[in-house]
Amino acid sequence: MSLHVIQNVEGLRRHLYAALQLEHATIPPYLTALYSIRPGTNAEAAQIIRTVAVEEMLHLTLVGNVLNAIGGRVDLTRPGFVPAYPAYLPDGETDFQVSLQRFSPEAVETFLRIERPASLDAPEIRTVSRTPHPSGIDAARVSDAGEEHFYSIGEFYKAIESGLKFLHAQMGDKLFCGDRSRQIGPEYYYSGGSGLIEVTDIDSALAALELIAEQGEGIHADIFDEDGEIAHYYRFHQLVAGKYYQPGDSPHEPSGAPVPVDWSAVYPVRTNARLDRFSSADLRESAAAFNTDYARFLKSLTEAFDGKPDLFLEAVGDMFRLKDAFGQLVRTPLGDDETAAPTFEIDAAMEALR
Amino acid sequence: MTPSTTLDAFANLSAALTGFDAAQLIGTGNAELFWDLLVARAGPANAEALLTVWTEQVEAEAHRDRAIRIAILSDRRYGPMARNLIRLWYVGTWKQLPADWRGAYAPTLADGDIIPAPQAYTEGLLWPAVGANPPGAKPFGYAMWAKPPRVTLDSKDTPHA
Repeated sequence: MSLHVIQNVEGLRRHLYAALQLEHATIPPYLTALYSIRPGTNAEAAQIIRTVAVEEMLHLTLVGNVLNAIGGRVDLTRPGFVPAYPAYLPDGETDFQVSLQRFSPEAVETFLRIERPASLDAPEIRTVSRTPHPSGIDAARVSDAGEEHFYSIGEFYKAIESGLKFLHAQMGDKLFCGDRSRQIGPEYYYSGGSGLIEVTDIDSALAALELIAEQGEGIHADIFDEDGEIAHYYRFHQLVAGKYYQPGDSPHEPSGAPVPVDWSAVYPVRTNARLDRFSSADLRESAAAFNTDYARFLKSLTEAFDGKPDLFLEAVGDMFRLKDAFGQLVRTPLGDDETAAPTFEIDAAMEALR
Repeated sequence: MTPSTTLDAFANLSAALTGFDAAQLIGTGNAELFWDLLVARAGPANAEALLTVWTEQVEAEAHRDRAIRIAILSDRRYGPMARNLIRLWYVGTWKQLPADWRGAYAPTLADGDIIPAPQAYTEGLLWPAVGANPPGAKPFGYAMWAKPPRVTLDSKDTPHA
């Protein structure tokens, strides 16, 4: 393999599109776990999952800004953008799949894998190989050479960062040929993590990628970043360890206040629920309506990225509506000690909207 | 009846009384809470008798609307219970059953006004019925107050269309 995974602008755009898919692909699993928690219980766990999910939305928007800055297009409506769960992540980890499942030790175990630090045992970018899997996502095939598989999200972003620097050295500021009016600014994002960064040059592009890496798995296994914010990996680890991290702690040895977790105070939502497996016609209709609303929401976000940033404000209203519908589904019993959940079968719903 | 068929019958009766469909009512998460409250406040015998009248004399009737008026809403025993359920589903409040009803059918049971749980209010049917969010609950996002309400009567309706 050559020194740089990314050789040209087209390759960079493909990787950034995969990054969009990646950031988004984590959100339905986080939300399923979050909304399976019974209201009034597990306040600490709910808070941890909620803040991570909201930051993934920030990351998606940051990646969107970088992609728009280099003249790409943020299309969240493309077939396959939302994976069929269980799914491999778009950056190609091979050793685990991500499911839509209730808040449980298994779910948190998956979240730890999603957010695992890049440099825990090796400093260089590692790619791992796997044979193509039917539920894998096309975006794993991001390079000209074939599939790439990164061990962690951190390493995937390192490859993007190095490609960005490589192309900027070759092309100079011509790399940033995107329309500035398509940048989503901090006025459109609130409630969680840091603000949005408008991307117009190499410095702002690197700052955007840095923020994602820093909030996600932590860099160089740092638990807290310079603003004192705890990395996602360690946030989730607190649920396993049953204790909060405090400054000065070593990885995997939190010594703060206890984090109480009640694994039983959870709606028993069906893992990776599918529309065609719901026996009630009413329920199929409600679950299909959720998918349609979600598809419409992604369409509206796409228009926002396409130069109508005001639509972002309305999209926030959509999110609250989706949350309400999410709650109705997880409270609906399926009769076999399970409850329903959104199925996130978005491709079919999107197709019906065209 | 088994617990799950009891809840199904209760959801179907409630659907006929409120005009919402059973799936929506179950989706509020309040069906079991409300059934338990009915049993506690009206007594198990009265609650189960109400379900029996529903399943045996109303549910399968061709003119169900008429049947429910005759067999339940106009009935001295079942009418007050049914009206209490309608109020409970819509505004989340259980009103004390009328004194003459308690004297006749549940003389030994204590009853009084109660909001049985916070979600009885937030998931009240009043809100989708009037196309609004419950005040003080279900925040709808920054600046959304400048937009028309987007609550729909039927969760399957699409406010965008």
